[in-house]
Amino acid sequence: MATTVTSSTKKKTVRMNGCVASAQAAKYADVDVITAYPIRPYTATMMALAQMVANGELDAEYIVADSEHSQLSIAHGASSSGARVFTGSSGVGVQFAYELYSPISGSRMPVQMMIADRTLDPPGDFGSEHTDALSTRDMGWLMGWACDAQEAFDNHLMAYRIGEDPRVLLPQMVCQDGFFVSHITTDVELPDPGQVKEFLPPYKHPYPLDPRHPVSHGPQIMPEQGPPLQLERARAMEGSMAVIEQVHDEFAQIFGRKYDPWVEEFMTDGAEVVFFMQGGHAVTARFAIQHMRDEGVKVGLVRLRTIRPYPTDRVNQVLSKFKVVGVIETNMGLGSVSSGGSLYAEACAALYESPQHPLVISFMAGMGGEAIVLKEFYWMTKKMTEAQRRGKIEKRTHWVGFEE
Amino acid sequence: MSYTELTVWTRGIIMDKEGRDIVNSISASARLEGKFAQAMENYVDNPDRTNAPTRKYCRLSDNVLENELTYENEKPNIVVLVEGTMVKGWDYMRGMPPGGTLVINTHYTPEYMIRFVPGPERLAQLVCVDAAKLADHKWLYYRLGQLGLDRLSTEGAAERSKAIAPDIAAPLIAAVVKSTGIVKRETIEPMIANKKAFQMALGELHIMPLKPVAA
Repeated sequence: MATTVTSSTKKKTVRMNGCVASAQAAKYADVDVITAYPIRPYTATMMALAQMVANGELDAEYIVADSEHSQLSIAHGASSSGARVFTGSSGVGVQFAYELYSPISGSRMPVQMMIADRTLDPPGDFGSEHTDALSTRDMGWLMGWACDAQEAFDNHLMAYRIGEDPRVLLPQMVCQDGFFVSHITTDVELPDPGQVKEFLPPYKHPYPLDPRHPVSHGPQIMPEQGPPLQLERARAMEGSMAVIEQVHDEFAQIFGRKYDPWVEEFMTDGAEVVFFMQGGHAVTARFAIQHMRDEGVKVGLVRLRTIRPYPTDRVNQVLSKFKVVGVIETNMGLGSVSSGGSLYAEACAALYESPQHPLVISFMAGMGGEAIVLKEFYWMTKKMTEAQRRGKIEKRTHWVGFEE
Repeated sequence: MSYTELTVWTRGIIMDKEGRDIVNSISASARLEGKFAQAMENYVDNPDRTNAPTRKYCRLSDNVLENELTYENEKPNIVVLVEGTMVKGWDYMRGMPPGGTLVINTHYTPEYMIRFVPGPERLAQLVCVDAAKLADHKWLYYRLGQLGLDRLSTEGAAERSKAIAPDIAAPLIAAVVKSTGIVKRETIEPMIANKKAFQMALGELHIMPLKPVAA
């Protein structure tokens, strides 16, 4: 595998928001087919790509579908013919395409979908909740959240490389918070295109639809053919974990940015209570943690970077080090295990086999896409340290901003 | 530690780019001067509609911006009205700490305009600049023509002109820079497309100094 950086002269740093960073990533990945249907906030990604195609910067087929369902159907077809496909959506748009998620992963098509989260209806406002993408989490798509524009850019490249690996062949949802990442402008380092070519070779599906070499995709099958098919898809998901780690290592070697594929630990040395969360709010969480550390509060952050496949053992091993885990949900899990969000169940399930058994609290914060501000992180930390002192939680779920 | 918020109120679609140019150029200049700065549009105002009031924000600080992910400027020190009639109708002064600056694009004088300003006692100065005259009398006509094809929203839309401040934004930026010193003239001037209007505005501002009520 390539380990040397051939040239870094064509590298440049440009200020852009998460939406544009995603569009740039699709351009650098030299995608063949783009399928679009507008919905805020991810629209700006498709607008940027439309401009790139119109300006001749990117040679791709740009198809405007008549709905998200069609958008994903076209993506499925294009991927089946061997194209590298880029699509995306937000909020209810993600839901409208729901029928397609299982067929795409079931036929093992490495379609890539950019998600800029938006609340579902209600409230349907433009703000970010992760429920739109999270509700599809068991459909066989690789899935993870970025916390800034640079990470979004990098995740897109890594996701193509992972999903298109012949050992994996699975679609990917590359997620970012609406506004907190999609509309916040930061410096993004765009790599030398030569480095991207080295990292992400052209996509070759082993069995594309091709009249010269006829194959069947997605034929009607009998019940007895179901179990092996499902087992194979489950194994692909499980097997992707080794590939994910390998690709992250190679990415670091080529581009110089090293991400832990599963969790980011921030100031967890000596921490007794930690936040467990995904996405853009981690940026503010880091500031809050620094301030609280200055005051002697032993708090840290564990940010989940990949939720599918879920790194159960890693989450167990990391979270077991602490006394209290505060899960910041930013998603709705109505009537779920904690009556709060769905991330709580994921954290608890990973910790079930832990002999240390830290206390776990679910925080409903940032709902409707509200910004989680410093003082709310301080409040949540207070709830965690109180639980630590008491040796038990007050209750499973706190709605931040609704309690003393 | 110094922290400044600048909020620009503009009209959706027809003057959207003008508002964006103001916050983008000031934020970029502040970064060149070694500050931490951020420019963004109000997330809820966009996607904008023709003539609807929309807000653009800029935040500058000597320190890293810890409120980077908050939606709105809660305490604007400087407010710019890109279109003169916006002086009436809504509370663009909301949250302004005493000692603020209000810049209006108008051919009227500050003495005339101040009667329409809600909460003028917080102002240290009211600045009026006839940006339309200084930039180009006809800018609105050709801008409307340009925008005739994509008037649903300007969010993320292709800008026909990549130039920064080719028209009325240039005198407004000059007004902000001269009256507040938010960034240095030498830093921002090279970015401005309409340098003539920028330079003329520096000499043709109407600044009304006021005594703000202490907090």
